[in-house]
Amino acid sequence: MIEVSDLTVRFGGVTSLDGMSVTFEAGTCGLIGPNGAGKTTFFNVLSGFVRPTAGKVRAFGEDLLSLVHYRRARWGVRRTFQTEQAIEDLSVFDNVAMIHEHARLGGARRQDVLEAISFVGLDADPSARVATLAAGQRRLVEVARAVVGRPKLVLLDEPAAGLPDQETEHLSEVIRRIPEQAGALTILVDHDMSLVSACCQTTAVLDFGKLVASGPTAEVLRDERVIRAYLGTADVQ
Amino acid sequence: MPSWQDFEPFIVSGLALGGVYALSGVGMVVLYQATGVVYLAFGAVGAMGALIAWSLINAHAPGWVGWLVCVAFAALVTLAYGMVFGPALAKRDPLVKAVATLGLTLVLFGLMDLLWTTSGGQSRAITLPTDNGGFMIGQIQVTWTQVISLALGIVITVVTVVFLRLTKLGTAMRAMANDREITATLGVPVRRVEAAAWLGCGILAGLAGVLLADLVALDATTLTFLVISSLAAALIARLRSITITFAAAIVIGLVHDLLTPIQSLSNYRDATPFVLAAIALLALSSGGGQVLTRSREEA
Amino acid sequence: MAASGGSAAADTEVPATRARQRPTLPRPGTGTLVRAAVIAALLLFVLFALPQLMSLYYVDAMTQVAVWSMAALGLGVLVGRVGLVSLGQVAVLAIGAWVAARLLFATAQPYPLVLLEAGLITMLLGTLIGLPALRLRGLYLALITLMLAGALTVVLATTNFPNGGPGFLGYNGSQVHIPPIRRPSIAASDPAYFRYAVVVAVLMFLLVFAHIRTRPGRAWAAVRQSEPAALAAGINTWFYKLWAFALASFITGVAGGVLAGANHYLYSLNFPTYYSITLLAVVLMGGAYSLWGAVIAGLLWALLPSLLQNWGVSADWLTILFGVGVLQVLTTAPRGLADQVPKDLARLGRAARGLARKRAPSESSAG
Repeated sequence: MIEVSDLTVRFGGVTSLDGMSVTFEAGTCGLIGPNGAGKTTFFNVLSGFVRPTAGKVRAFGEDLLSLVHYRRARWGVRRTFQTEQAIEDLSVFDNVAMIHEHARLGGARRQDVLEAISFVGLDADPSARVATLAAGQRRLVEVARAVVGRPKLVLLDEPAAGLPDQETEHLSEVIRRIPEQAGALTILVDHDMSLVSACCQTTAVLDFGKLVASGPTAEVLRDERVIRAYLGTADVQ
Repeated sequence: MPSWQDFEPFIVSGLALGGVYALSGVGMVVLYQATGVVYLAFGAVGAMGALIAWSLINAHAPGWVGWLVCVAFAALVTLAYGMVFGPALAKRDPLVKAVATLGLTLVLFGLMDLLWTTSGGQSRAITLPTDNGGFMIGQIQVTWTQVISLALGIVITVVTVVFLRLTKLGTAMRAMANDREITATLGVPVRRVEAAAWLGCGILAGLAGVLLADLVALDATTLTFLVISSLAAALIARLRSITITFAAAIVIGLVHDLLTPIQSLSNYRDATPFVLAAIALLALSSGGGQVLTRSREEA
Repeated sequence: MAASGGSAAADTEVPATRARQRPTLPRPGTGTLVRAAVIAALLLFVLFALPQLMSLYYVDAMTQVAVWSMAALGLGVLVGRVGLVSLGQVAVLAIGAWVAARLLFATAQPYPLVLLEAGLITMLLGTLIGLPALRLRGLYLALITLMLAGALTVVLATTNFPNGGPGFLGYNGSQVHIPPIRRPSIAASDPAYFRYAVVVAVLMFLLVFAHIRTRPGRAWAAVRQSEPAALAAGINTWFYKLWAFALASFITGVAGGVLAGANHYLYSLNFPTYYSITLLAVVLMGGAYSLWGAVIAGLLWALLPSLLQNWGVSADWLTILFGVGVLQVLTTAPRGLADQVPKDLARLGRAARGLARKRAPSESSAG
C-alpha cells in the first residue's frame, strides 16, 4: 500500500503537485489526467528525482522520501520512463542484469534475468545490443528491468506511447500478469484508456496537481469530473 | 605588506579592467539568455579584431579606422557564427553549444598565430589617443582610457538592463531564455531576436578587444583567455543577472590588480578569475541535488 | 518462439524451458579472435619493425603519439563513456609529469614504480577535485575543470617543473647546468624508450578495456545515456562518475610520467591551458567512444604536426583544422558529445570541403 499525504511540489513559480493525497491499495492502479496534471512529477517524486516542497509518502509502512534516489531501487522501486530508456549500448541481458547488480538483489542473477526477459515475452537474443532492437522490443526490455527480482513498487510511465495496437495488446497482457508473478504494486500512467481499463482495478485521476477522483476504474472513467478534466477529449475506446 | 599608496594606482587600473570585464560579461549573459550559448570565443574574436586593427594602423591607417574595423570584424564573425551554427545546434545541450564555440576559438587562435607570428622579441602594442590625456586624483594618475573603460562598463550595464526590461526586443530575449519554442509560437521572430543578440555580443567583443589590447597586452593568447574573467563574472551572476555581472566584474578586476603589489601573491594573480569562477560554480551547485534539467531561467 | 498474443496458460511452464535452452553470455566468437590476432600482429610490428623503419625524428614523434594517446584515452573515457567533458586534462598531464620528474630526481626508484606513483598521486588529486566538482553537471562541470586547470597553469608558471633542485618543489632557478630527467636503464635510447612508452600505453588501454567490459563500464553506459534511468536502476551515479575521474586521472598521470622521460626537460609553457581544448578537439575527431579513437587522437596530436613541420607547413593549420573538426563533429554527431562512429581522416577531408561549400544546416541531423 502506498499512502500519499498532501504532496506538494512547487518550483520556480510553477506548482506541479498541489496537496495531492491518495492511497494506492494493491494490484495495478491507474493514474490518469490531462497533460501537465502532475503525473510524471509524481513519479519523479517517487523515484527521488524531485524533492517535494511538502507532503509525505509512506510505502508499505516506510517513509519512502527518506531514501536517496539510487537506494530506492534496492528498496524495491522500479520505473519505466515516458521516453523509453533501455540502455542502447548494452545488451538486453546486461540491461536487465544491471538492475539486479546495482539493486543488490541476491540470488541467481542469470536465472532471474532470463525469467524476466521471458516474462515480458521478449522475442530477441539476450546478447543483442538494445540499439539494434525495434521500439516495441526496447520497451519490453524496460519492462523486464522493472519486474526482475521481486520489486515492491513498479511505476510505468506511458509504456504504450507510440506503440502499434498489436504491441500495446501484448504489453497490456504483460502488465496484467505483474501483480501475481512479481507480487508488486503497480501504478500505470497512460492516456490510452482501454489499456488503463484492461489492466487497472482502481484508478486515480489528477488534474492541476490535485486528486480529482479515485476508485474502481470503470466508475472513474464514467465520472463527469474526469471527463471534464480532459475537456471532452477523453478517447474512451 | 605594501602601504595604501602602493595600492592606489592599482585601484584605478583594476576599476578600468573591471569595466571592460563588465561589458564583456554583460554581452555573454545576454547572449546566453537569448540563445543558450556560452560564447567562449568572445575573447578570441576581440583579439583578432585588435590584431587586425594593429596591422591597419601599422600600415598607416588612421586610428579610428582600425578600431572601427576591429569592432566590425568581431561583430561580423560573431553574427556569422551565430547564424550558421546557432540553428544547427539549437536543440542541443548548453554544453555542446559551448564546446562548439571552442571550435571557433581554435580556428581563430590558429589563424592569429599564423598571420601574426609571435616571433622572438617583437611584441606588439596598441595605444589609444586617450592614453595620453588624463587627470590626477590625489597622487594617482588616471588616463582617459581608463575612465572610458569604466564608464563604458557602467553605461552598457545600465543600457542593457533598460533594454531588456523596456524594449520589445529585450522582452523577447527574456522570453526566449525561458522557453524558445513557446516564444516562437507566440509569433516572436526568434531568428531575428537571436541575430540581434549575436550582433550585440559581437560588437561588445570588439570593444573589449580594443580596450583590453590597450590596457593589458596585444597578445593573442592573453586576450583570448581574458574571456575567463568575464565568464567568471557571468557565472557569479548565474548567467542571469546583469547587475550582478557588473558588480562581480568590477570585483574581479580590482582583486586581480590589487594583488600586484603584494609580493607573495603577485605571481599568482592571473589565477584570480579562475579561482573566483571556480568558487562561483561551486556555490551555484549548492542549489542542486535536482536530477532533472531545467530552463535557462533556473540555471 | 511465439511471444505475443498468447493465452494466459502459455506463461507459466514454457518460459522455464525456454530459459534453459537460451544461451546467456556470448562466448568469444571467431570475430573477436581474429580481431585480437590482428591487434597482436599490429603491436608486434609497432614494437619491433617500426623503430627500424623510422628516423629518430619520427621515433620521437611516435613516442609522443604513445603519450598523447594515453591522455586522449583518459579524456575519451570521460567524454565517450560517461558523457563528462573535462577541459583540464593537460593540467592533469602536467601534474603527472611533475610528480614523476620530482621522484626521478629525488629518488633512485625503478621507473615502473615511479610511473605507478605518478599515476596514483595524480589519481588522488583528480579524485579530490572530483569530489566537489562532480556536484556540477554538463556545462558547469566542463567550465570548472577549465577553471581549475587554468589556475594550476598559473601556479605552475611560478613553481616550475623540478630540475634537480632542492626542497619540495625541487626547482633551482639559478642552476646553470640542468640535469635531464632520467630514463629507465633498459630503455635509455630513443627507439628503446619508444618501445617502453608503447608497452605502457598498451597496459593503460588494457586497463580501460577491463573497466569497460565489467561493472563500471555498464554503469557508465547507463549514466551516459540517461542519469535518471541509471539512478532508477540503483546506480550510484556520482560514485561511478568519480571512478571515471579517478581512472582518467591515473592514466593521464602515468602518461605524464612517460612524457617526463621522453622530453628530458619539462617547462610550464609546454602545458598551456588551451592545449586541453585542442586535446578535446582531437578526441572528438578521433572518436571519443572507441579505444581506437584515442590512438587516432594521439596520431592527430603528435604525428601530424611532425609531418607538417617536415614539409615546411606551419602547425597552426592543424589548430585551425582541429577547430573545424570540433564544429563538424558536433553538428553531425547524432547523439550528444560521444559519437560512437569513429571519425576518420577521409571523413574529415569531406567535412572540410563541405564546410567550405557552406552546407545548409538543415541537412545535418538535428541533435
